[in-house]
Amino acid sequence: MIYIQNISKTYQSGIIQVKALQNINLTIKKGEFTAIVGPSGSGKTTLLNLIGGLDSPSHGIIKIDQTDITSLPENDLIDFRLHHIGFVFQSYNLIPVLTAKENVEFLMLLQKKEEDQRNERTIQLLKAVGLENQIHKKPNEMSGGQQQRVAVARALASKPDFILADEPTANLDSSSAENLLDIMFKLNQKEKMTFIFSTHDSRVIAKAQRIITIDDGQIINDYYR
Amino acid sequence: MLYHSMIFKLAWRNIFRNKRRSLITISSIIFAVIFSVLMRSLQHGAYDNMLKNIVGNYQGYVQVHYKGFWDEKTIDNSFYIHDLDTLERNKYIQYINPRIEGYALASFKKESKPVIVLGIDLAKERHTIQLQNKVIKGSFIQENEEGIIIGKGLQKIMNLQINDSLVFLSQGYQGSLASGIYPVVGIIDLKTPELNKRTVIMNLNQTQTFFGLENMATTAVIGPVNGDWEKAEFELNQVLDTQNLEVMNWQEMLPELKQLITVDRAGGTFVLIILYSILTFSLFGTVLMLAEERNFEFGVLIALGMAKSKIIQTTILETLIMALVGVLSGLIITLPIVIYFNIFPINLSGQMQEVVEQFGFEALLPTSLDPKISLTQAAIVFLIVLLVNSYSIIKIRRINPTKAMRS
Repeated sequence: MIYIQNISKTYQSGIIQVKALQNINLTIKKGEFTAIVGPSGSGKTTLLNLIGGLDSPSHGIIKIDQTDITSLPENDLIDFRLHHIGFVFQSYNLIPVLTAKENVEFLMLLQKKEEDQRNERTIQLLKAVGLENQIHKKPNEMSGGQQQRVAVARALASKPDFILADEPTANLDSSSAENLLDIMFKLNQKEKMTFIFSTHDSRVIAKAQRIITIDDGQIINDYYR
Repeated sequence: MLYHSMIFKLAWRNIFRNKRRSLITISSIIFAVIFSVLMRSLQHGAYDNMLKNIVGNYQGYVQVHYKGFWDEKTIDNSFYIHDLDTLERNKYIQYINPRIEGYALASFKKESKPVIVLGIDLAKERHTIQLQNKVIKGSFIQENEEGIIIGKGLQKIMNLQINDSLVFLSQGYQGSLASGIYPVVGIIDLKTPELNKRTVIMNLNQTQTFFGLENMATTAVIGPVNGDWEKAEFELNQVLDTQNLEVMNWQEMLPELKQLITVDRAGGTFVLIILYSILTFSLFGTVLMLAEERNFEFGVLIALGMAKSKIIQTTILETLIMALVGVLSGLIITLPIVIYFNIFPINLSGQMQEVVEQFGFEALLPTSLDPKISLTQAAIVFLIVLLVNSYSIIKIRRINPTKAMRS
């Protein structure tokens, strides 16, 4: 469960203060397939970064289960992300020198998981995203869609509590985007994995169970389908 | 272990990401190692050669004299050889070679020259200083033989041949007159032009008779065990009667040589500092580019949950691998060159030769094979790598993942 209590985020841009988020209150339950939508600059990515502990709020508290991530020291926060949060980025951000298998395995290595356990999970995840035949390929040898599927497998590898996906389909062609969404939706349905998307993509919105609309740093709409 | 192999794998593969830059970095390290090791080997080789010729093969690293002899080198400042009996079987002293160093006027036909008369104990010096190996013509004097060995420079100046006789005239012990006529049995190359021009070597007994110094010597050359002259010097000062005897090391006896080495070493160090500065900036360029180019990637890794310390480990390992390849390649390339110039030293010629010989040194530049030189240079390069890496450490420590991923 993610509790967001009265979050605000203000940036200093030169002499101007930009209010990226204002008084956001939100609870996201386990297993939700949530889309945060809104125009560019509305604060979607900022909210996602705050939930992921990549940035700290100017005011307010974010609790993930019982942990107040806004008060964690930097190293503890990095460790918290490693064990509890999975990320899928718009531009995939795979480690270019590692193969698909090594990229997926990487976070489990950081978690110091046993080799057998790592191998089994890596193969299982790459199968789940339909890339069992591409395991030895490096990112530059794969298409954008394939890279993003590896990124999804990587995000799941560490068995996180939830996955934050920032515009995951933005750089993909239509069929790759559909395919990726199907995979993520199935994982959500089958494993009750919580997904939180920041997106403009109507295909993501169409699949989302909950849609939160943000504009000018404020939640203007929040509903379940 | 597996985790560390992943760190190694990342570092290793990152080296091949930008092959050209890695190649430039490794090449600059190789160049620095080759240049610094060769330079230092030549310097140390030249010093060793000077020390070996002047100190090791002639004067010894430590000497004992009658107090005041070094300042006033007269025959009257002599001591009884049995004063050194307390040094027998001392664990820091390998040998004691009593000598007489006196001055005389040597004449042959119409030519007269002031010379140093060096009286040596043949039995002892044969196994230690081994002057007999430096004879280039004729033979070395035998015990109880009434012959003399002369430096090759003196032979040339006075146009002497083997079996020619030299007449010596000097002042003996306590004002007596010293004179004698001795046949030349051999010509020696003492490897130092100044010594070659002035030295005449005789049997110690014969020299004692010549100067009237029965059972006496002016000098005792002390051979330290394992070349550790500092320990031997300390021991001598403890054991000997320093009221009447003085103990001097080569640095005190040859301050010009010590000064020359110090000044030359400082010059070499200055050149090396410039070289290391160039290397530092070259490596800094690599680390700077590495840190800037991968800022985004580091941001992603931190976002995913990789501790900053692990990222730092990877970047340090990456530069250390390059440093290791560079240093080892540099040493492998340098080693045969150093060995070659040790066996076949650079022979200075022309003006350089004259200048060097004016200072009394042999105009040869052999390289030193001392492994400490290579190890020191390799260690310095590694230190520079670590120093330069401090930039990436600071940079990574300050990374904010969201800002880095926006870059």
